[in-house]
Amino acid sequence: MKCEEFDAIGLDAERDASLSELERAAAREHASACSRCAALQDSWQAARVELHAFADSTAAAETPARVEMRLRQEFRTQHGTMKTRRLAVIAAWALAAAAVLAGAVSWSNWRKSQQEEAARHLVAPQNLALAAQKRGAKTNDANLENDAHGARQGAANSDSAETLVADNELRNFTLLPGALPAEADDAAIVRVRMQRGALGALGLPVNEERAGEWIQVDLLVGDDGLPQAVRLPQQ
Amino acid sequence: MRIAEPARDDVLLRQAAKGEEEAFTLLYRRHQAAMYRFALRMTGSPWVAEEIVQDVFMTLMRAPKKYDSSRGTLGGYLYGIARNRVMKHLERLPREVPLEQKNEDGSGAGIVLQDAATPATWAETRERMKQVRAAVLELPAEFREAVVLCELEELSYEEAAQAAGCPIGTIRSRLHRGRALLLAKLEMLRDVPRRASAAR
Repeated sequence: MKCEEFDAIGLDAERDASLSELERAAAREHASACSRCAALQDSWQAARVELHAFADSTAAAETPARVEMRLRQEFRTQHGTMKTRRLAVIAAWALAAAAVLAGAVSWSNWRKSQQEEAARHLVAPQNLALAAQKRGAKTNDANLENDAHGARQGAANSDSAETLVADNELRNFTLLPGALPAEADDAAIVRVRMQRGALGALGLPVNEERAGEWIQVDLLVGDDGLPQAVRLPQQ
Repeated sequence: MRIAEPARDDVLLRQAAKGEEEAFTLLYRRHQAAMYRFALRMTGSPWVAEEIVQDVFMTLMRAPKKYDSSRGTLGGYLYGIARNRVMKHLERLPREVPLEQKNEDGSGAGIVLQDAATPATWAETRERMKQVRAAVLELPAEFREAVVLCELEELSYEEAAQAAGCPIGTIRSRLHRGRALLLAKLEMLRDVPRRASAAR
């Protein structure tokens, strides 16, 4: 080993883990043979002792406690904010879920009410018979009974036994004789099948020759259950 | 939640990232002294060292996911951050060597000498410590870093290279040059009192 090499790697050869044992031995040998390098090594060893003394003097140095307090405060602030933000996100999702649920429940209720409405329309012919009876066509009692019975039978026998659904539009209704024009808000439109002759019981003129014909009629039934107006839907 | 003392750094860091203050505090207590000593020995200023330590742990708190345990230890990662802060500080104040630093309570410098037989020895040793400290602080930043890491922190060349973010060869050459400069400075400082007393 030459002096330059010793200068570069030999001074700290014992600590340098990247050196081989052979290189360390060469450094030791050079130091024992070269007085200049031996003096340099001694000088460095003395300096190291002083450096270690200096290191020892600051070995117990620690960060002042106020730094830990500041950091912990900052930690709380930061994670408190994060927690608030997370809660806000959760609350927003919960609100959205509640809105969707409320929507679903409302829709389900609406569907149920629609189905009930349709079921009520199915039993309407019976109501119609009762209504006609109340209207007090005294002379036509027996006739009306027959009509209502016929209407029921006709509905039952009809090949179009499906639910009759009336148009909700209030156009083309003809007021029945004796009925007063009233608010149509609470009125219901009921589609029924009846013999044309039954219209006579409601006070409408009927062609005697066609009295036996089955026809579909929309009745505007008031909140008192009595028909107010009639409409013959377009076939 | 209580945390077991020997929990690994990366485990603690994950818990801290989830908001567990105790985990963060444990990490801080585990690493603060080493960071502080490094910053103090590099800058020579307790105030600056304190700022640097605070900055290092703020960085860790704000971006804990930046640490990748597969790339090295948390200590090495923190050393890296501390080193960057120290270098930035030294770039701003290239040749600042404080004459005297006061502690929090207003007492003298952070050098505490415990093994001084007589007042004369104590004074002499204290004087010598000041010289060593001045010699270390006068080294150029890169050489100073190598000397502080390898000689004062007593890290291996490999650990020092990891902390400084450079190859082992670079650490070895910086240490070699730093050592030469340090020896020259110490010799010079040792000779000044001798020359002064000889002149008298």
